[in-house]
Amino acid sequence: MSSKLPASPLEPRAQDGAPKKKKILVPKVENGHETMVEIEVDDVAGPEWGPREKLRLLNHEFVRVDAVDKVTGRARYTHDVRLAGMLYAKFVACPLPHAEVRVDLSAAKQVPGVVEARVVRDGEIRFVGQPVAVVAAKTREAAEDGARAIKLDLKPLPFAVTREQSLAANAPEVNRRGNASKPDERGDAAEVTAAFARCAAAIEATYSVPVQHHACLETHGAVVDVPSNDAATVYHSTQATFASAGEFKGPLKVSDVEVINEHMGGGFGSKFEAGVEGRVASELARDLKVPIHLMLSRKDEFLAAGNRSGCTATVKLGGTQDGKLVALSASVDRFGGLGGGSHAGLPYIYSVETSHRSMRSVYTHLDGNRAMRAPGHPQASFAMESALDELAYALGVDLVEIRKRNVGDVHAKQLERAAREIGWAEHPHKSKPDLSDAVVKVGIGFGLSQWGGGGHPECRVTVDIAPDGGVRATVGSQDLGTGVRTYVAAIVAEELGLPLGGVTARIGRTSYGPANASGGSVTTASLAPAVKHAAFNAKRSLLEALAKTLASAPDELVLDTQGVYDARSKRRLSWKDACATLPPAGISAVGEWQANLASNGVHGAQAAKVRVDTRTGEIQVVKMVCVQDCGLPLNRTGVRSQIFGGMIQALSYALFEERVIEPDLGLALNANFEDYKLAASREIPEMVAILDDDDTRGVIGMAEATIVPGHSAIANAIHNACGVRLRSMPLTCDKLLLGLAALKKG
Amino acid sequence: MKAFEFASPVTLDQALAELPNDVAKRDSVKLFAGGQDLLTEMKEHLVEPTKLVNLKRVPGLDRIELAPDGTLVIGCLATLGALAEHAETKNFFTCVAEAARSVGSAQIRSQGTVGGNLNQRPRCWYYRNEHAPCLKKGGTECFAYSGLNKYNAILGGGPSYIVHPSDLATALVALDAQVTLRSAKGERTMALEKFYSLPSEGDVTRETVLEPAEILTHVRVPAKSGWQSTYLKFKERGSYDFALAAVAVAVKSDGAPRTIRDARLVLGGVAPKPWNVPKAAAALVGVALGSAEGAASSKRAGELAVVGAEPLAHNAYKVPLVQGLIVKAIEALAAR
Repeated sequence: MSSKLPASPLEPRAQDGAPKKKKILVPKVENGHETMVEIEVDDVAGPEWGPREKLRLLNHEFVRVDAVDKVTGRARYTHDVRLAGMLYAKFVACPLPHAEVRVDLSAAKQVPGVVEARVVRDGEIRFVGQPVAVVAAKTREAAEDGARAIKLDLKPLPFAVTREQSLAANAPEVNRRGNASKPDERGDAAEVTAAFARCAAAIEATYSVPVQHHACLETHGAVVDVPSNDAATVYHSTQATFASAGEFKGPLKVSDVEVINEHMGGGFGSKFEAGVEGRVASELARDLKVPIHLMLSRKDEFLAAGNRSGCTATVKLGGTQDGKLVALSASVDRFGGLGGGSHAGLPYIYSVETSHRSMRSVYTHLDGNRAMRAPGHPQASFAMESALDELAYALGVDLVEIRKRNVGDVHAKQLERAAREIGWAEHPHKSKPDLSDAVVKVGIGFGLSQWGGGGHPECRVTVDIAPDGGVRATVGSQDLGTGVRTYVAAIVAEELGLPLGGVTARIGRTSYGPANASGGSVTTASLAPAVKHAAFNAKRSLLEALAKTLASAPDELVLDTQGVYDARSKRRLSWKDACATLPPAGISAVGEWQANLASNGVHGAQAAKVRVDTRTGEIQVVKMVCVQDCGLPLNRTGVRSQIFGGMIQALSYALFEERVIEPDLGLALNANFEDYKLAASREIPEMVAILDDDDTRGVIGMAEATIVPGHSAIANAIHNACGVRLRSMPLTCDKLLLGLAALKKG
Repeated sequence: MKAFEFASPVTLDQALAELPNDVAKRDSVKLFAGGQDLLTEMKEHLVEPTKLVNLKRVPGLDRIELAPDGTLVIGCLATLGALAEHAETKNFFTCVAEAARSVGSAQIRSQGTVGGNLNQRPRCWYYRNEHAPCLKKGGTECFAYSGLNKYNAILGGGPSYIVHPSDLATALVALDAQVTLRSAKGERTMALEKFYSLPSEGDVTRETVLEPAEILTHVRVPAKSGWQSTYLKFKERGSYDFALAAVAVAVKSDGAPRTIRDARLVLGGVAPKPWNVPKAAAALVGVALGSAEGAASSKRAGELAVVGAEPLAHNAYKVPLVQGLIVKAIEALAAR
């Protein structure tokens, strides 16, 4: 036995038998706020990421292992699942925001191919698009026809779908405890008032963001198969595979549910629950004893599958002559439909000496908001970065300098890097917008981001090495889209000296071993350490087994890309030959979370450059830059892809996205991909993703940080370009043209 | 989906024989070509025909040809993609090729046809919502008038405020295109401009004068020697979108510097039909392209183009937008 290695992979001990202890920092979440706390753990020789310059795969760029499957249509998503005897189910939704509904199923049951029609909910309906009935049929077409045949007897009730309607004196009751929640107050209003007196300048304005949709390309839903009385298989498009298994047990009334989720077409925070679609699919499968395919239609998805809440924030912000922030007062209304909405609070990121804010939810007859990529942060960013910019212009302070003056060192350094990359030094309009008569103008704007992204012990990973040299890494985790399958393989390949293709990663199935839900960018920091630990343990078990066969000792054996070298006998074995000596069962090693391999807390700085055509109001984003830290980047291509995706989603939010509900009719006017506009190929600017390599910490999730400030930077860049401050998103040409006209009039 | 018969005639006469004479039956028999508009209407249950007459097996209707006299003859089944890439169209009828290229996405242009594009139905989100019983669907109210009308008409509206969605129509009207309408009884030819009707002029549920028994078989664009043209479309989302506003400008010029001798100016995306503004076009005549005087005349044309505009609550921006597009379009012509 090696003196350097503990006796057993899973029960580490120090040399004298008594476990030695060491103190490490781990993230802890309380009331939605993440902090680092110190805990004591066994101080044993365990896995380390090692010096970055020695890494062969990790911290390098490589293509996703499932990229070809995805782009060729071979990857199987929940939508694609087809089982023998399966029925297609389809919802019927209430078209009105508030109504008494009675459902008549009789005609639907007569439609050829329809097997079942049921009421999902009748009586009072409280949001546009709420499912009220379901049809199950032998074909999708028959399900469509059956759904059309269902008759809804609708008695419209008074509704509120806008802030004004909800807060009106004679507003219909949306929420029993009032259409607006009791404001949540932070800080001392009197102190803030006094602090404003010390300010060299202060600005006050109202900023609003609309409701945004997740717009997952794969809609919500499940395929439920109940082949026996005590076990079921559910194919589910979910970002919480394991929680989902528990949720399905109830309606299925079985003791074991296997959830399968090999590939998913986006979640962005909206897919944590089985939802009404999961419950109804389960009930149908259980009762009809056939597999049920129930995926939401695009329209259902827009209306009943969550959203990013909108918000209106009135902000007053003051500072000293050199741009130090002194006082902030803010009043925030969140619009999360029947939900409470989400907002990260103000001030956001920047330090302000004294602040007071009041925040409440305003309820409407629309579906409740759900988590969406950095919930509450983009809303807070838009108000904070816009107000900060307005104050900078009022004070005549450089837009980068005022930001650096009010943040920590990491953000300040990242801002400088972003400013260099976007061309700030050469830009002529650093503290005043371009008010010249030029018809086409260029402006630059900035914004900052932050996120937690730490991990916790939830995953169990198995690494198997077969006598034929095959290596498999297995864990139930879903891949939300961040490249989980790829880094699971890469971490194991790195540890075992194999090429990326030498390891197969099997993920997305509860029986593969527990894993966390993918929310809060916690997956990488939760899963990667467990993968590393499993690979480390597999490697040690392999070397221990080989040592016996070769009459050597594990610490005399070196495993690298050339195979195994035995220092005692000076012999070398290829990987295949080494594995061939293993017993028929091969090696199986398990790994769990290791606190020392993960860290928490990421920072980012973004810059946007826009071109504005003052004749047409055309806004073109020409370049975006993101400087982002994330501890150890497992796959630099993967991290860059997350940054690009975050910037694109923020650009789309900035320029196009807005849920439109007709205020008088209560109808959804853009619940489709024609009228709900998403940025497409021609809207994508030059994008520069810079990984902050000064960050030497362990792995941290960063995907959410990347979406936080892009829209704010774009709004700021528009003002910088032409002097029009757009305080209401989306930032569209109609608003800009009216702003330009107002500017001209003075 | 309501079951329907699918007729696939192989001659134009057979196709015409499938069509009803009865106006009441016009929505129960629909012509099917690229299907890019019709299928979306059927999926939204805005129309539920009992019969589709597939035109795609009728030979010859997809041709794009230059007649000996220089007239461009476009068959109704020519795809937008083919028209956008057609060499003579690009050279001599530039705004038509540019308009075709501005439609939708490459996928839509490869399926969508000229006939379908000219006959497409409005995109107004009230019209397209099955649950909004608007004027266009036989209801009693144009919800856009007092509702969310950012995308609606500023000119020629009332009682309906739709904008005509066809890019091609705007460009073709600028080049004085004629359309041929065939029925079992014969053929009639008219200016494309006259083919479109305002909501106040007739049946508010229609946008054209096409009879139920007629097929728009050909578009003829007369040769215009010495003319240049351009189509400039403003899309909210550049990748693919309908026009918030568009302009087609054609000018005849000679001399050095090139002086405009005649001009056509048509607006799209702002009215229920292609909005021809001859008085605005006249303001361009007599000035040199690219000159300071030319810039002033472009501005003057912009002012004249929107005379009579009555913006609704959310679409006043279309006034400066159209004016900006006119200036840019004429600049683009000057740079050629």
